[in-house]
Amino acid sequence: MTTVSLGGAFAAGRRAALPARASALYMAAGAVAIGVYFLVPAAAQDVLYGVIGVSAVAAIYVGGIRGATEERRAWECFAVGLICEVAGDTISSVYELSQGHDPPVPSIADAFYLSGYPLLALGVFLLLRGRGGTTTLPSIIDALTICISSATVQWIFFVEPYFHVQLGNGQRAVSMAYPSLDVLLFAALAQLLLGVGGRRPSYRLLIASVALWVAGDEIYALTAGHYAAGSWVDSFWLASYVAWGGAALALMAEPRPLPVERRTVPRLTRARVVVLSVALLAIPAALLVEQARGRQPHTIAAAIGATLLAVMIMLRMGGLVRVVERARLDERSARHDAELAGRQIEAQNAELRELDRLKDEFLSSVSHELRTPLTSIAGYVELLLEGAKEEERSHLEVVERNASRLLGLVSDLLFAARLQSGRLALDAGAVDLRELAAQAVESARPPADTAGVALTAHLRDVPAVRGESDRLAQLIDNLISNAIKFTGHGGSVDVSVAAAGDVVRVEVADTGIGLSDDDRAHLFERFFRAPGALDRQIPGTGLGLYISKAIVDAHEGRISVGSTPSGGTSFVVELPVA
Amino acid sequence: MPLVLCADDDEDILALVALRLERVGYRVARATNGDDALALARELKPDVAVVDVMMPRRSGLDVLRELRAGADTRELPVVLLSARAQDADVERGLAAGANAYLAKPFTARELIATVEGLLPAQSLR
Repeated sequence: MTTVSLGGAFAAGRRAALPARASALYMAAGAVAIGVYFLVPAAAQDVLYGVIGVSAVAAIYVGGIRGATEERRAWECFAVGLICEVAGDTISSVYELSQGHDPPVPSIADAFYLSGYPLLALGVFLLLRGRGGTTTLPSIIDALTICISSATVQWIFFVEPYFHVQLGNGQRAVSMAYPSLDVLLFAALAQLLLGVGGRRPSYRLLIASVALWVAGDEIYALTAGHYAAGSWVDSFWLASYVAWGGAALALMAEPRPLPVERRTVPRLTRARVVVLSVALLAIPAALLVEQARGRQPHTIAAAIGATLLAVMIMLRMGGLVRVVERARLDERSARHDAELAGRQIEAQNAELRELDRLKDEFLSSVSHELRTPLTSIAGYVELLLEGAKEEERSHLEVVERNASRLLGLVSDLLFAARLQSGRLALDAGAVDLRELAAQAVESARPPADTAGVALTAHLRDVPAVRGESDRLAQLIDNLISNAIKFTGHGGSVDVSVAAAGDVVRVEVADTGIGLSDDDRAHLFERFFRAPGALDRQIPGTGLGLYISKAIVDAHEGRISVGSTPSGGTSFVVELPVA
Repeated sequence: MPLVLCADDDEDILALVALRLERVGYRVARATNGDDALALARELKPDVAVVDVMMPRRSGLDVLRELRAGADTRELPVVLLSARAQDADVERGLAAGANAYLAKPFTARELIATVEGLLPAQSLR
């Protein structure tokens, strides 16, 4: 029966459709086999027992070793561990079949049985390790806590009593070894329950198989002396074999990669708290059971176990306290750093404010230092001009013009610097742009005449705008003198002022050299000079339009630049009506 | 002839201001620092003072404040003269009690018109 299903499982491994069902088929067959086990005579039982064990090893080979290379080592441990158990079973069976009774204790069968336990436990640890389980101090402490607790309970109930039974030394040692080694499986089971393997069918089946094995051992220990081969207790070990094989086969159907935990410190999940609580309560519970059964409580064993557990708890708590402490220190140091950074920023801000103040002071004093000699130059030239002859006069006018240009430059630089530091406060009032434009045109007439540029004006009556008269005059002056500068001899500049809805529109259009699109994009930037202007050596600092735009912006207006039909340039300023 | 006190640490400009005023008939007293300007103002009791703002020892603004604080000089018309001609500077000067604020560079016409405008009626030529 089992062999048939085993053959099916092998076949399933080769066909793509079957792996998903291989585990279920194997376990169904296993369940039937276990049922049959209790119906057949003793000799057949022995054979069937061995067959089920071998089938589990074969299933582990197919599903765990041949298929899942990532966890090969773990499944190899399971396979070898179970082979040891099967070997023990087989030897026992041979004894029973040949001698008609169970093998003596100790026997070679015990050697195989006992050596299987560490391998099975090792397999569990390798498996968990492969899935990201870590060996950090807290996880080791938790594992030790479970070991100490289960060891103490095992000692109290199943190991120590052997001292009070009349037995040979070898028999006693082996009898004690079984419950002692079960401690390993307890620890393995607890680790699986706390484990990081995800909750896939293969993992659940593995938990079931270890749990069934431990349960079988415990029940065997509790019913010590009453056990006989073929007893119902066998069903636990048999079911464990089947579950183990089923777990390996289930692995084939599960998606890769396997779930891997990345945490380095085990989280205190509910499962962990429950498992640890059970471990801590086990010793007092054992003492109560002892008391209830009217036995002498194992005070010393309980005391040692409890002491060791207390040590584990202290270590674990110490670790937790350290983690909390470290977090608090980290937080404090982070806060300290933040405060320090805050103070540094504050200091830097103060420094920047001081630098800003120094810059203003510097600009102001540079401006003063430049104006003072210019005052002398302009003043004395003016004096000389009054008594000068015609030829001298024209020369002195050159000096005067250049002194005034220099002065304008100083003013522009100072103004631009103030704009840069973001300060342009307006002394606002009602301004008549028509009048301002008329004045600007009049004062621009002499230089226009000199340049041979025809200056015309189309000025309409317009509503007042709100703004600072001096600044707006500076703006219009700038635009007109710019236009004259960029218009050659014989060209013309037209200034017009008109109302347009709720804005007053001032336009200065020329027939000059014009601007490229690229120039227009940068026109209002500080120190920008159009390549055309540079080629023609037209003087300028690149500040005029920057200042103009700043003045328009301060008045919440708009300035735009376009082309005239003649290929010249037209600047349009729109200011909101007051 | 009205007496004008001129104070400027830049002697070229001081000479120019004095020359301009003398040419139109004023008498001129000269000072090249704030202390001298204050002493001369108290001693000579000029009709108008033209005082540069940025001077060593005692600034024009300080001179102005001292003048406004003294009983004899409280009414003296003062023209502040300065290369610092930003709005804030002008405001500060006027707030300190200046009668006029003349930004450098200035023309002869501006200077003479300003001084004339501040002379009391009886001292006009």
